[in-house]
Amino acid sequence: MKKELKLSRRHVIAGMAAATAGTAWRPVWAASVAPITIVINQSPWFESFRKTVELYEAESGNQVELDVNPFAGSLEKQRNSVRAKQGQYDILIMNSGWFTEMYAGGFVDPLTDIDPSFKLDPEIFTLGDTVYYNADKKTVTADGKLMSVPVSPLIPMLYYRGDLYAEAGLKAPRTFAELEANARRFHEPPARYGIVQRGARGPHTVAYDFYPYLYGQGGGIFKDQSSGDYSVTLNSPQGREALEYYIRLAREAGHPKTAAMDQAEVIQSMVTGHAAHIMMVIAAWSQMDDPNKSAIVDKVEWAPTPSMPGLPTAPGLGHWLAGIARNVPDDRKRSAIEFLRWFQTKQAQLATAKAGGIPVHAGVYSEPIADERKYRWMKPLAEALPHAVNVYQFPEASEVIAVLELGLNRAIAGEITAVDALNGMADEIHAVMEKYKYKTAQLEPLR
Amino acid sequence: MTVPAGLKMARKHGASFGDDRLWRWLTFSPALGLMLLLSVLPLVNLLISSFQDISWADGSAVRTFAGLSSYHALAADTLFAAGLANTFIFAFAAVAGQMVLGLGLALLSSKVTRGRVLYRAIFILPILIPGIVIGAIWKLMLNYDFGLVNQGLALLGIMPQDWLGAPETALLSVIMVDIWHWTPFCFLLFLAGLESLPQDVFEAARIDGASAWQEFFHVTLPLIIPTIVVTFAFRLVLAFKVFDEVYLLTSGGPGTATEVVSFTLYQRFFTEDRIGYGSAMSIAVIFIVSLLLVIALSARRQAAAS
Repeated sequence: MKKELKLSRRHVIAGMAAATAGTAWRPVWAASVAPITIVINQSPWFESFRKTVELYEAESGNQVELDVNPFAGSLEKQRNSVRAKQGQYDILIMNSGWFTEMYAGGFVDPLTDIDPSFKLDPEIFTLGDTVYYNADKKTVTADGKLMSVPVSPLIPMLYYRGDLYAEAGLKAPRTFAELEANARRFHEPPARYGIVQRGARGPHTVAYDFYPYLYGQGGGIFKDQSSGDYSVTLNSPQGREALEYYIRLAREAGHPKTAAMDQAEVIQSMVTGHAAHIMMVIAAWSQMDDPNKSAIVDKVEWAPTPSMPGLPTAPGLGHWLAGIARNVPDDRKRSAIEFLRWFQTKQAQLATAKAGGIPVHAGVYSEPIADERKYRWMKPLAEALPHAVNVYQFPEASEVIAVLELGLNRAIAGEITAVDALNGMADEIHAVMEKYKYKTAQLEPLR
Repeated sequence: MTVPAGLKMARKHGASFGDDRLWRWLTFSPALGLMLLLSVLPLVNLLISSFQDISWADGSAVRTFAGLSSYHALAADTLFAAGLANTFIFAFAAVAGQMVLGLGLALLSSKVTRGRVLYRAIFILPILIPGIVIGAIWKLMLNYDFGLVNQGLALLGIMPQDWLGAPETALLSVIMVDIWHWTPFCFLLFLAGLESLPQDVFEAARIDGASAWQEFFHVTLPLIIPTIVVTFAFRLVLAFKVFDEVYLLTSGGPGTATEVVSFTLYQRFFTEDRIGYGSAMSIAVIFIVSLLLVIALSARRQAAAS
């Protein structure tokens, strides 16, 4: 017998209420803010960032989409997005080579303009005060507005073969003379090169490799950017010493194709056991101990990049900063602020470190994790970070980088002498600064 | 007066032709307008930008008139000069290699009767591979430490060569990769040209006792000249625009050894974000490519006339 289903009015109302509650219900962790999109580059540290973002999504219920690109592609996408009427990306992951372009162009909003209550955690590295921008002075100084939160405090470190050093009874080199002596000692080509340098021309390749040599010798590119003096000092005697040292190291204790070596090839040389030393951005640390990628697991040690006696280590900042785009809706800006607020916590940064990233929170470096063998790079990095040099404080930096990339590469390839390269680059950089009406001057050419 | 029948017809035909032509223009004009809009407008925009300096403030572009300063700066740009010189060397050397190899392969392939499909498939394989994959293949092949080329040389007792890193060999290596990549293009055009030649001329030559070389130089080559000219023109213009191989293999280095004009343009316009100057460089490059095309087309006309 067929049973007839009869619903009373009360049942219908109760059912509708239940259905409404069912569709409207959200778990306590569900999204409380608008989804955001982050444009980022595919770097060795990207995986750790992705895992940190996943943790944020799990904890907050908020949605984050990552748009991942090659280095140059990321810049191009950021430019296209911020110059449009409405931007596609809420958070821009900006490199040290182009963050001032974004600040000065008005493409990112000061974080405190979006949320006046937002404060940078006092233990977050400000990395040469590059998180601030003073629009009146047109430079990055602590008296400017807070524009970004550091994402990855990248600087180059000296990677060296700890096993070879232990056998030879050597200590990590602190000076350029010690590095040269040790590189020569371990130079057994083609099986192993004393040092492998990153001398290829690229978007920011050989110039970035050269900064620790230049600043570690007491040289520089400009006289004093913070005070607005952009007099070109590249072709100083210290600059000459630095470039001649770099070239001598390449020719006498380095790889024969230094002028064509890019980042991937330098890392490849180290992990395959073909290099005794490299100076490489710290983000590559996890590849050294990865048995799937490395033939020298647990054999690499880290130290601050060498310098002249009496001078501190001077690695160039190659860090990444997260800024919020000006041309996105306010609700997405607020969502982006929530993400950055969470990202700068010690807990989030500890998670970043455990995922293979480089924490931007000083507190993490004094946690027990820093004493673990796996994280043996942390203490040398913490030692070096306060001395990191912010090489560029003006938006036209990419033009100066292009000049350096060509000039340095030509000198390393042997097309021109170090002196001609330095004088030529100084001329060109001076012309660039003059064109943009910065206060600038030149040294007498080297002879 | 009576009008001849033929004239009547001509008038009638003339009137209808006029209407027809008007109708054709009317129906064609929307497509023509759209095409002009899509092709000419960007060029006009590029030309206007080349007379401006473009900077950014408060999130907006600030354009200032710069006159001919960008064009003057081109003359002093050493990278642009190196790029132009290398581009000409690259284009003529690579295209010459591709023409010779492509013609040789086409001649051989046209004689083959068994397995010709297989041969042709193998010969055209490189042209089907995306540029990015070609970059990866040859970067690995030419790697100093691990590359197959150097490993092969080591078997012969020859020291490894720094193919992409030494100024003496870098441009040559890129040219070789381009020849490998684009020879199939020439091969296909030459094969089509050879197979369309009238066979009776060859039969006559053979009856007259011409040797294989005489047949090639006195019959095949003169007949295939128009195909050669067209192929050369196509390839020269494409070779002049080379970018991906240089970008992927050498980034223009070492020094300026493999700098080509498209790569200089990429650096100035995109990396350095110099829109005004990059536009002027783009106009200069377009002008040079157009000039090459005009020269090639007039050469073709002369070849056809002779």
